[in-house]
Amino acid sequence: MTYQEKQNVVNIFSALVVTPIFAWLVFQRHQQGQFDLTEDFRQWGIVFLIFIGVSVAARVIIQIIFHIGNAIATREEKTPVEDERDKLVKLKATRNSYYAFTSGFVVSVIGLALGMPVYWIFIAFVVFGMIAEIIDNGSQIYYYRKGV
Amino acid sequence: MAKSIVQNNIRKLRFEAGEMTQQELADKARVSRQTIVAIEKGNYSPSLELAFRLSHIFDTPLEEVFSYDPKDDVPGKV
Repeated sequence: MTYQEKQNVVNIFSALVVTPIFAWLVFQRHQQGQFDLTEDFRQWGIVFLIFIGVSVAARVIIQIIFHIGNAIATREEKTPVEDERDKLVKLKATRNSYYAFTSGFVVSVIGLALGMPVYWIFIAFVVFGMIAEIIDNGSQIYYYRKGV
Repeated sequence: MAKSIVQNNIRKLRFEAGEMTQQELADKARVSRQTIVAIEKGNYSPSLELAFRLSHIFDTPLEEVFSYDPKDDVPGKV
């Protein structure tokens, strides 16, 4: 497995760990009455801002651990230089994740039109954001293996 | 993914250039070894810039490094 593929696997792992744990903690606080996420949408704004900060911090820590672990395992200190193929792979993967997130947005809007509560659109953002990230990194692994 | 319709002789040229390794060629062309592997396998068509860089490294005309047969370029293949 190449360095880029390993990094994509780590990113998928991060998405699958960080988002559900944060969502679970927020849900616990909602149930305890600390947040009212069904009526007060200002709370969603605060939760999303906290999530951005927590997500970035957690991923930075996970990436540092990955770099150290990879350097110890492979004895390669230098990270590979990003070349034109890497950029093309990332571009195509970003396109796929964009489709996934846009689909999620359309699904959530359809849900609203069918009478779902407004807070579902925020839950859809979180869920489809996570799915889009998994598709982004999964697509990169696919293009690296099958060609681009 | 469809194979590239652009064929290449990079493996042969590496051999003729004193059995140059993929890593050595990658370093000279300023790309990763994986990109050289992908080009050799036909999984990636390099940019014009990289193609010229590779032909310059082998000191060979571009058409001797890469070749294109219009018969392979049928609609829907790429």
